[in-house]
Amino acid sequence: MAKEFEPNIIGFLCNWCSYAGADLAGTSRMKYPPNIKSIRVMCSGRVDPVFVLEALRKGADGVLIGGCHPGDCHYQSGNYKANRRMKLLKKLLEELAIDPGRLRFEYISASEGAKFASVATEFVDQLKKIGPNPLKEVKK
Amino acid sequence: MVDEKTLRDAVKKTVGRKDVKYVVGYDKGTTGFQAAPTFAYEEKDAEKFVFNPTCVNNLAVYPMLEDKPPLRKGEEPDTRKIGIVLKGCDSRAIVQIIQEKGLKREDVVIIGIPCTGVIDPKKLKVKFPGQHKSVEVKYDNDKFAVTVDGKTQKFSKDELMPEKCKECEYPTPIIHDILIGKEIKGVKKPDYKEIEGFEKKSLDDKWKNWEKEFDKCIRCYACRQACPMCYCKECMVEILDPQWVRRSVNLSENTAWNLLRAFHLAGRCISCGECERSCPMDIPLMKLNKKITKDIHEMFDYKAGVDAEAKPLLAMFKPDDPEEFIL
Ligand code: SF4
Ligand code: SF4
Ligand code: SF4
Ligand code: FES
Repeated sequence: MAKEFEPNIIGFLCNWCSYAGADLAGTSRMKYPPNIKSIRVMCSGRVDPVFVLEALRKGADGVLIGGCHPGDCHYQSGNYKANRRMKLLKKLLEELAIDPGRLRFEYISASEGAKFASVATEFVDQLKKIGPNPLKEVKK
Repeated sequence: MVDEKTLRDAVKKTVGRKDVKYVVGYDKGTTGFQAAPTFAYEEKDAEKFVFNPTCVNNLAVYPMLEDKPPLRKGEEPDTRKIGIVLKGCDSRAIVQIIQEKGLKREDVVIIGIPCTGVIDPKKLKVKFPGQHKSVEVKYDNDKFAVTVDGKTQKFSKDELMPEKCKECEYPTPIIHDILIGKEIKGVKKPDYKEIEGFEKKSLDDKWKNWEKEFDKCIRCYACRQACPMCYCKECMVEILDPQWVRRSVNLSENTAWNLLRAFHLAGRCISCGECERSCPMDIPLMKLNKKITKDIHEMFDYKAGVDAEAKPLLAMFKPDDPEEFIL
């Protein structure tokens, strides 16, 4: 019997917002798929595209980056810059035949447990449609 | 046509200045279809300077190669300037480096060449296979005159020019201290038809294309060495802990290298084409660079290397950056 494909997601979540948001979703016992492995970063601006690529190369099917809402970044503009960077990275991934839908940037605040849960659910569904990450198999 | 006497005089005058360390330009080279970078440390060295269609290298790499060793007690830092001979496209590298604060405007003396296009050595190599001795290429109105073994042949410019020259927007250096000859107005525009065609392909087809290209990569990093914008003190591929890009030469690592290289040049690449020219495996790196240049222009209305006062693309943002709501 074929098991349904369960995507593996790496979440780089900002300490001040999305990470706490994820925590809230957990402590308030909201239902969301357990596919996300969270890595706490001090700001979404800390996420170097090389992290995303490494996650994809190590077998993640999707990468979620969670940052503070516009204007709320504790370091002024880390989230805006991260957003710019990830938009560009998406274009580049697409050019090199990696589905840009595997990368997602979201603004999730510390009080938005429900948003975190819904983003997670949506992202998992989306990745199920896209399918397993082919990059895993590129390795020779 | 660039008058070489005027060029040599300019080099002489520049290197004669007390505050100039050396001038880097081109001499006629010893092999094949390429002029070679050369240096003038004193006035008489200026005699060997030339400018012709084989002057392809972007010399903007040189000021970034200057070592700044720690000073001994009581030693003064060497603040002398570096003189560089630059074509229009090359000058954008210096503009971009100044924008990134890698150099100050006063660190360089720019001898600008209003340029009517250079040759693509790879294209000439195809026409004269096995040619190792130095060959003469001259401007001949709207043609290139190539002299091999005493015989001169004329080629139309389009036949021998690299793509970048066919769509050159800035033939005259954007910044310069001395200009050799008259300014040439840029009338051409980049042509994104090929890029747009490729964008429409399926992910599978795209990968088939890049797989074949990246598979060839031998990770010599010539593309990096030739690139004026790759001036990091320590390149990410040399970092061992964490080692983002492994040293093994295989499709996976090659892809990682090429993707990260392209990303690091996003919003910084000034389209001089040096990476592609220097790639011994003929990987069409400009296709990747051009795609990103196009996206950046469309998404952020930004162009690298034209305004030294502007902020670098990834160091700034606009609150109204395009948002995408795709699922
Ligand atoms: S120059 Fe070509 S072969 Fe060498 S590392 Fe760059 S892309 Fe690879
Ligand atoms: S990436 Fe290539 S075209 Fe762009 S600046 Fe570097 S060498 Fe020039
Ligand atoms: S590839 Fe990246 S890290 Fe390496 S020199 Fe170029 S810009 Fe710097
Ligand atoms: S502190 Fe949360 S995104 Fe910068």
